[in-house]
Amino acid sequence: MQYRIFKLALILLLLPLVSVSGLSVIRAAEPPAPPADFRAEDVPGDAGTAIDLFWTLSPDDQPDLKPRKVLRYVISRKEADNEESKFENIGEPTYRVNTFRDSNCEAGTPYLYQIEAVGQESLTSKPVVLNEPVIASLQWFNLQRSWFAVFVVLICGSVIVFIRLARSGKKLKVRKIAGLEAINDAVGRATEMGRSCLFVPGIQDINDIQTVAGITILAQVAETTADYRAQLEVPTSRSLVMTTARDTVEAAYLSAGRPDEYNEDDIYYITDEQFGYVASVTGKMVRDKPAACFYMGAFYAESLILAETGNSVGAIQVAGTAMPTQLPFFVAACDFTLIGEEFFAASAYLSGEPQQLGSLKGQDFGKLIGGLLLIAGCLIMTLSSIQSRGVAPDNQEPTYLQSASNYIIENILGKGGFK
Amino acid sequence: MKRTIPLLISAITGFVLIGTAFIPLFVDWGNIAMSWFNLLAAFAFILGGGNLLKMQLQKISAQQPGWGYAAVTLIAFFITLFVGLAKVGVHPNVKFPEFAWSGDYLQEDGVFWWLFEYIFTPLSATMFALLAFYISSAAFRAFRAKNTEATILLIIAVIILLGRTYASVWLTGWFPDEFIIGESGIKYSDFNLQNLSEIIMEDFTTPGMRAIKIGIALGVASTSLKVLLGVDRSYLGSDQEA
Amino acid sequence: MKQSTLIWTILMVAGGAFLLFQASKGNGRVYVREIPVEAQASQPEGEEQVYRWTRYQQVTEAEKGEPDVRFSLSRTLGLWVAAFSTLAIFSFLYGDNPIYKFTESVFVGVSAAYAMVVAFWTEIMTNLYAKLLPGLARITFYPDIDSTARPDYLYLIPLVLSILLLWRLSPKGSWIARWPLAFFIGATAGIRLISYLETDFVGQLQSTVMPFIVFASDGSLLWIKSLRNTIFIVGVVSCMIYFFFSIEHEGVVKYISRLGIWFLMVTFGASFAYTVMGRIALLSGRLVFLFNDWLGI
Repeated sequence: MQYRIFKLALILLLLPLVSVSGLSVIRAAEPPAPPADFRAEDVPGDAGTAIDLFWTLSPDDQPDLKPRKVLRYVISRKEADNEESKFENIGEPTYRVNTFRDSNCEAGTPYLYQIEAVGQESLTSKPVVLNEPVIASLQWFNLQRSWFAVFVVLICGSVIVFIRLARSGKKLKVRKIAGLEAINDAVGRATEMGRSCLFVPGIQDINDIQTVAGITILAQVAETTADYRAQLEVPTSRSLVMTTARDTVEAAYLSAGRPDEYNEDDIYYITDEQFGYVASVTGKMVRDKPAACFYMGAFYAESLILAETGNSVGAIQVAGTAMPTQLPFFVAACDFTLIGEEFFAASAYLSGEPQQLGSLKGQDFGKLIGGLLLIAGCLIMTLSSIQSRGVAPDNQEPTYLQSASNYIIENILGKGGFK
Repeated sequence: MKRTIPLLISAITGFVLIGTAFIPLFVDWGNIAMSWFNLLAAFAFILGGGNLLKMQLQKISAQQPGWGYAAVTLIAFFITLFVGLAKVGVHPNVKFPEFAWSGDYLQEDGVFWWLFEYIFTPLSATMFALLAFYISSAAFRAFRAKNTEATILLIIAVIILLGRTYASVWLTGWFPDEFIIGESGIKYSDFNLQNLSEIIMEDFTTPGMRAIKIGIALGVASTSLKVLLGVDRSYLGSDQEA
Repeated sequence: MKQSTLIWTILMVAGGAFLLFQASKGNGRVYVREIPVEAQASQPEGEEQVYRWTRYQQVTEAEKGEPDVRFSLSRTLGLWVAAFSTLAIFSFLYGDNPIYKFTESVFVGVSAAYAMVVAFWTEIMTNLYAKLLPGLARITFYPDIDSTARPDYLYLIPLVLSILLLWRLSPKGSWIARWPLAFFIGATAGIRLISYLETDFVGQLQSTVMPFIVFASDGSLLWIKSLRNTIFIVGVVSCMIYFFFSIEHEGVVKYISRLGIWFLMVTFGASFAYTVMGRIALLSGRLVFLFNDWLGI
């Protein structure tokens, strides 16, 4: 009897609690409002495989609501032409995100997209469908890169034109670079002292353009060592670099008329690993004490180890690299450093061939275009900011200068393409 | 003749890949070519490894000074190679235990893993750490300011170095936070070492790096064209038989 | 005995005694927890086949007394090998010596073979063997390949190129090895031309275009920002002028290119100093390994 009263009291107590909380659960679990302004665009400049979707966030998608009313959005798509196709889920961007790229489209197929907002307990909003189907189209030419194509044509064209001009006998003067003049002296010194020359073509493989540039410099240095009858050692960190370097040095010795001096064992492979390689090379430097060390190619942290060890054995060191992070160390530790572009110009300088010097003029032309464009852009932006100072930025038609500076930044130097 | 076909191959490949950069349907060809390169480099190990063996064996057979170390290199090489290729000590993949060789070659507790963890990694890390000594000796020697350029290098390096450590707070942290001239926007504290370091990095280092990169880009373009047009064909070796 | 030899001998003996003492105290040991693994055969043939082995997981010394934890000889040996190799490399700073030469030889051998093993398993096996012969690959090394996978014949191209390359070893016709090299050098040239011109030429120019004079939204001149912008633009242009090859550095050009070189020196000095802290951190990492992990100090 007492137990029954107790049970009744418990139920009477719990019932309102349960119903209130139940009501509140029911009240809280409302589906979120749907997103608005749903639109789709073909991604420009692609092979017809992607479509971009944009929408305005659901009004329930607020950042400070707790618990969140919108957890994610669900995007589905179906083929517009196919009567029997159904909407299939293709992606679920999270809350506060209002774009999505569908990268699995087939070119030329019209698609319809649908978006729903999903809240607590997987309750979904009303689905919003596109008004009209969108087609991903294949572009044969990426128009976003049209201005970039202009740059490529201009720069490559100028290099080619100047090479042609140089071939036809026009004399070209170039300024002196101290490091390159020093190479001959360094090799001569090594011959006098009876010590070897060491050439390190970087630690990257032949698929790095810096290694290719280093190998072309090796060809010139090898001709010099062949002339002077100095010993040249080329330890390499990659098998393919060893192969290419052997061909290069052999050719250089042949063209210098000293094929018998060529010893293919002087160009050898050590190990691919950066620090194993440099441990071996520095050990060799300390034991064999080369009189001239050349570091030409792509280097990473080991650059300083090589340069400092070379210093400790008293070698003349000439370095060249296009790794901006290693330039400070070479500049601090080596006698001469070819900085960035000078490194790429080195083989042209050393060969002295007119057509190679012509390519240098092409590079200068590229710098000229770049510099003029930069200054023009800066001047236009300056004039534009003077003109529109003090004017409220919103609700104004962009002035001529503003649109000009925008065009330079977004289209000429950006991905805007011709517009 | 021996160089003509390779030159043609090189030129056609290069110019095609330049063109495909602008054609969306073929824009991936460059990446595919580079992934093939990794395979070629893997096979090229036969050439490099063969050369390594040949050099060390020559040293041993000619009894050159230091031939003992060549023997050590060979022994270490062969042990590692065998252990890695045969996956010695590697347990099979938990999902497919009946396939004895399905485990990862670098699985913990395998012999190859032991060599990697206790020889390869510590030795690499130690060589890397040697840089601390080398950078100090380089700084000590190079910054004996012999000319204007070295002086600038030295002063800037000292400012940045101090600015990145606690010394900057101790030395210049007391610069007041007030404006120098009325509303000019410059405060005394802008000249403390920390802020000075930031200003140097943003306003002086960045333009320098940008100009270097611009120059490098043009140098790369020029080198690439010389290679593709055959103006610089030294990498291909010679036309004649040696 | 020479004085220096005597000093070195005393140092070595003292060092050795210290190490023995530390080792006897129980420092420099590695403990592992045994984790038994039970794996079901994925394709039971008749009887259920269950394979069992033990996995080991390294634990800290604090967990020494726990039931599954035991002393691991191989890892402890490894730790001591690593510690001695580290000291051997540091000894190079004093000068070339037999211990360093020995360690260097081991390092070269192990690292060369390591690179080859990695290339074998990640490239030749995964990217060539498994792609061209998926069926065979599935029953040998890669049981997780989809059983319906078809051979990808595109991978025949790199295979052919590699064979051409290896022809170099043959006494006749080794010139054909130049063809794959030419292919890839040409490919490199083409790809890098585009990527460098896009990011490092056009991209850098785009980031640098900025107004010389900047105004605030109320029309007042922000002269500090304007000064900074101007310095920036002057810096980039003067460095570019320094790099010109066809103009001699005379007259006006001489002064501008001097300014450019000064900017470059500031850049290099800053980069140099920026890296110093990082390198010292590397050294302290190795010292922590030696003193903490090995010696337990």
